[in-house]
Amino acid sequence: MEEYVISLEGIKGLLENLTREGFNIYAPSKNNDRFVKVKDIDEVALFPDRRPTDISAKECLFPKCEPVFYYKREKNNVEIVDIDPNGNKVLFGLKPCDAASFTIIHKVFNWDYKDKFYNKRFDNSLIIGLACTYLDDYCFCTSVGLSPVSTVGSDILLVRLSDVSFGVIVITDKGGQLVKRYPQLFEKGEPTKSKQVLDSIGGPARKFDHKKVKEWLDNNFETDFFNSIGDICVGCGQCTFVCPTCHCFDIVDEDYLYSEGRRMKNWDGCQFYLFTLHASGHNPRDTQYKRYRQRVNHKFKYYVDRFQEVLCTGCGRCSRGCPVSIDIGDIVSRISKLS
Amino acid sequence: MADIISIAKSIFENQKAEMIIGYAKATKEGRTRPVVVRTLDEVKELVLNSFCLNNLSTYLTRKENKGKRVAIVAKGCDIKAIVQLIAENQIRRENVYVVGVKCSGVRRGFEGHDSTKIAEKCITCNVKTPHLFDELVEMKGEELPGTDEKAESIVKLEQMTANERFAYWEEQFERCIKCYACRQICPLCYCERCIADKSMPRWIETSPTKRGNFAWNIVRAFHLSGRCIGCNECERVCPAGIPLSLINRKMAKVAKSEFGYESGMDPNAPTLIGTYDVKDKEDFIR
Repeated sequence: MEEYVISLEGIKGLLENLTREGFNIYAPSKNNDRFVKVKDIDEVALFPDRRPTDISAKECLFPKCEPVFYYKREKNNVEIVDIDPNGNKVLFGLKPCDAASFTIIHKVFNWDYKDKFYNKRFDNSLIIGLACTYLDDYCFCTSVGLSPVSTVGSDILLVRLSDVSFGVIVITDKGGQLVKRYPQLFEKGEPTKSKQVLDSIGGPARKFDHKKVKEWLDNNFETDFFNSIGDICVGCGQCTFVCPTCHCFDIVDEDYLYSEGRRMKNWDGCQFYLFTLHASGHNPRDTQYKRYRQRVNHKFKYYVDRFQEVLCTGCGRCSRGCPVSIDIGDIVSRISKLS
Repeated sequence: MADIISIAKSIFENQKAEMIIGYAKATKEGRTRPVVVRTLDEVKELVLNSFCLNNLSTYLTRKENKGKRVAIVAKGCDIKAIVQLIAENQIRRENVYVVGVKCSGVRRGFEGHDSTKIAEKCITCNVKTPHLFDELVEMKGEELPGTDEKAESIVKLEQMTANERFAYWEEQFERCIKCYACRQICPLCYCERCIADKSMPRWIETSPTKRGNFAWNIVRAFHLSGRCIGCNECERVCPAGIPLSLINRKMAKVAKSEFGYESGMDPNAPTLIGTYDVKDKEDFIR
């Protein structure tokens, strides 16, 4: 892996150049609630020690809502107007737990059906990660195979060396080409320097073995374990919406008129009663504990079975924001001790 | 006054209820979580402090709890919701055993909120000593600082023109992700099938677009007018940070000034929305 050093001014210059190339820059908003399109590059700040944004970066590539096509109908004629999700994006300043999410959900969006909307956005994006120095009681990235300095998912990873200077670790070809395009902004760095910084960043206190979680889930579908969670979970689904890896969506037609309308793809979540309600009236997940059990199983068992990947980056958003203080890190680490 | 654990013990020992909905320690300091205890062994989990934010009455209308005799730990604001649920015939007074909390105020929120400050609803609270209860317990709290900034925001909104106000809410609702956390946490959103979930016909677009977001938030505001008791749980849980209390408090203000009605105060008083009166004045929307 090649290493460089870039100054804070250099980063701004880089973003200005990329804007000129036609990229839209997305970075954490001022109040850290989500990733937003940057209007003024001078406002971009790098905070490795800030907690993850309230809503994850997944919406940059998998938006909360998007039209899939428009249709027009006239007598027996139906005209379909396709939509091209074009636009080049730079996702900037992602924590490793956000950057890695794209590597994980990439698999499901390229499985039995290749999702052209997600894929096109992904192909046209450049992901610039930032090694993270924020740790709290809800983080557990090291327990799901990542770390605060993980390079998974980033094209280049920035490492804060000082207030004005950042180490640059090149990870993918895309990242390498970026450095080649703007050689004047990058100095050749000493690999040891970022490594020292990286080594000094510890990991979160919460630690468990995700293989043990799966081992127990493999053998315990019918269980009382989730009952007390079902008692208090209100089924609001904020956990699924703020999650960087939850990827369920719903397809609905919105009819303006009989003669024309659009088909929409909107986020959906397994914590809702309606999610599995059949037209017959039967609901296989009719109570909240079953819905919570599904979320844990999907993340730590089903996705691992199918894609050999845990569907969780340990960012802790679901637990931080849970209105009834359900802490998934606590739940899965308790499960890991049961097997 | 007995503490929460001895009260809970005596509830089970005297068979006053089959379950108690209360607060327990969360995994992180400075946070609590709701808990349902069903046995004497479990009562030791119960806690009561200024981090007991949740309005637990939202669990009373759950299908699995209906018809059961349930004890609940409730602050004055939460009891307003219980009163409203009784007034709206959703629960029966004799089925709920209210452990009323004499409360000195709770904190503004957990993560993402300034928890060193007192919640805004506590500043204007008129039920610090509960107005309906079966038994009282005192919350040992400390004086928390904080001002009611939302009251000023409401005045500012009132002074805006309709267009300015529309633009303001357009910007706020833009962030809505349609997770419906506001509905799920709300003690008074108890419909078995919410209008937002109806698809034949579809009244409210499910898409979190400008139009769909407006439809949802405005319909919810109307459905809560004259009913919302101001526990502010919807605003606390909104992952998109939409200041929902500004709408709900404004509507409560109108209910008070135009009809002299305050929800959640008297379980026997006719409800504002559910009552027909030939003497209703109609000029308030002019």
